Amino acid sequence: MARHQNQTREAVGVLASLSKYDDTMLVTVECLTKHYGKFKAVDNVSFAVPAGEIAGLVGPNGAGKTTIIHVMLGLISPTAGSVRLFGESLDTNREQILQRLNFASPYMAFPGRLTVLENLTVFAKIYNICEPRTKIIRLLQRFGIGRLKDTPISRLSSGETTRVGLCKAFLNNPELLLLDEPTAYLDPQAGLQVREILLELQRSYGTTILYTSHNMPEVQRMCNRIIFLNRGKVIANGTPIELTRKILQEDRSTPALDEVFIRIAERLPDEALSN
Amino acid sequence: MLRHVYEVRHNANHITYMVYWPIVNIVVWGFFTLYLRHGDRLQPSVISSLLGAVILWGLFNAFQRDMAVGFLEELWSRNLVSLFGSPLSVTEYVTGLIIITFAKAMVGLIVESLIAWLFYHYNIFPMLLTLIPFILNLALFALTVGIVISGLIFRYTTKFQAMAWSFAGILMPLSCVFYPLSSLPRFMRPMASILPTTHSFEGMREAVVSGGFSNLDFSWGLGLNLIYLIFGILFFRSMFEAARSRGLLVKME
Repeated sequence: MARHQNQTREAVGVLASLSKYDDTMLVTVECLTKHYGKFKAVDNVSFAVPAGEIAGLVGPNGAGKTTIIHVMLGLISPTAGSVRLFGESLDTNREQILQRLNFASPYMAFPGRLTVLENLTVFAKIYNICEPRTKIIRLLQRFGIGRLKDTPISRLSSGETTRVGLCKAFLNNPELLLLDEPTAYLDPQAGLQVREILLELQRSYGTTILYTSHNMPEVQRMCNRIIFLNRGKVIANGTPIELTRKILQEDRSTPALDEVFIRIAERLPDEALSN
Repeated sequence: MLRHVYEVRHNANHITYMVYWPIVNIVVWGFFTLYLRHGDRLQPSVISSLLGAVILWGLFNAFQRDMAVGFLEELWSRNLVSLFGSPLSVTEYVTGLIIITFAKAMVGLIVESLIAWLFYHYNIFPMLLTLIPFILNLALFALTVGIVISGLIFRYTTKFQAMAWSFAGILMPLSCVFYPLSSLPRFMRPMASILPTTHSFEGMREAVVSGGFSNLDFSWGLGLNLIYLIFGILFFRSMFEAARSRGLLVKME
C-alpha cells in the first residue's frame, strides 16, 4: 500500500514537472506502461525531451528501451499511458507525426533482393522526398557507402546494412530521430564516423535525437541528458555529470557512465532515484 | 507498389507464379479437352465451360495467393518494422498490394486466354464483356481471402503461411468450378451457395452455354462478397491490433 502510494506520488511529481515544459517538449512520455501478460516490459515510465536535445535512453538488456521506441513509432500499443510527439498524440495523428521523424534500429531490415538504391527509393517515396535519387546518393556518400548503391542488400555486411538504415533515417531531414543502438554492428572507425555525422547533422539542423546504446563512452560523448532504465522503470534522469555524482554518491569532476551503468544494473528496480 | 515492382524484377519466383503456372495449367487442361473433343465424347459447350473454369479458377487462385505471399515477403525480409514505423498507413499498404496483385493476376489471365485461343480453339475474348462482372466477383472474394490470411499471419506469424498456397484448394470442391451446383449432394448445396465463387462459376457456365447473363448469380455473388469483405476488413483490423498489442510486428520472422 505504502509502496503504491509512493509510486503514485512519484508519477504525479514527474507529470507536474513535465507539464511546465509541455509546449517546448518534442517528446512527452506520460506514465507509459506495457505488459505482456504478467511481464512488465515498461512500468509507468514518464520523461520528456526538449527540442534540439540528444537524450540517451540507457539501461541493461530487457530494461524496456526498445519497447519504448517501438511504442513511440506506433509499432506496439501501450497497456496504459501516452506518448505525445510534437505536442500531438500518435493515436490521432500517426501519419503526420511519422512524416516528421525517422528511426534506425537493429530490428529492421530491408528486402534482400532489392538494391540499396531501390530500397531507399521506396522509402523516399513513402516520405514524399523531392528528387530522391540525388538525396539518396548524397546520403550514401556521406555515410561512406556510395559505391554500394547498386548492390543488393543481401550482399552487404551488417555494418553496411546499418549504414543503409541510417541513410533511410536521414531521408526526410527528420526533426526527431529515434536511434536504437545505431552503432551496434559497426567497427570502431565506422562507429566514430557515424557519431561525427550525427553530431554534425544535429548541430546543423537542430535535430532532436533519442538514442539508445550499451556503449557508455559513446552515450557520454553524444548525449546532453540520460534517462536510465532498469526492468521497465526510470531509475534516474539527468546530465552525465549529474547522474555520476548522484548515483556514485561521489563528487566527481568528469562523468563515469560505465560505473553508473554497472551500479544501476545491480540495483533493484524499486530503488528509483528522484529526478 | 514500387517495392513490389522491384521485387518482381529481381525475383524469378514471381515470373513463375505469374506466367509459368498459368501456362502449365492451361496446357494440361487444353490437352484434356482435345482428348474429350476427339470422337465427340462431350458436347462443345461442356468443353468450353471446362476451359473457362480453368482460366477463371487460375485467376482466383493467383489473386488470393499473391495477396498473401506479397505480405509474407515483407515478413520474410523483416521489412515490417521499417514499413509500419513510417508514415505509410495500413490502408495505403494494402491498397498498393491489391493493385500490384490484380495486375499480376491479369497477366496470368491474359496468358491463359491467349494460349487457349491459339492452341485449343477456345476464344474467351468475345464473352469477356459478359464474364467481367463474374471475374470482378472472383477477384473481390480472392481479395477478402487474401486479407483474412494476411490478418492470420499478422497475429499468428508464419504458422499460417501455408494457408497462402492452400486456402483456394479448400474452397475448390464447394465452389463448383468444373460442375454445376446441382451435381453436388443435396446437403452440400447450402454450403456451396454461400460462396461467391460458386455463383461466379454458375454465371460463367450460363454465359458459355447460352450466351446469357445471370443477374441472379451476379447479384448473389456481389451481395455475399460485400458481407465477406466487411467481415474480412474487421477481422484484419482486429488481428493487426492484436499483433500490435502483443508486440508481434517487431518480432515477426
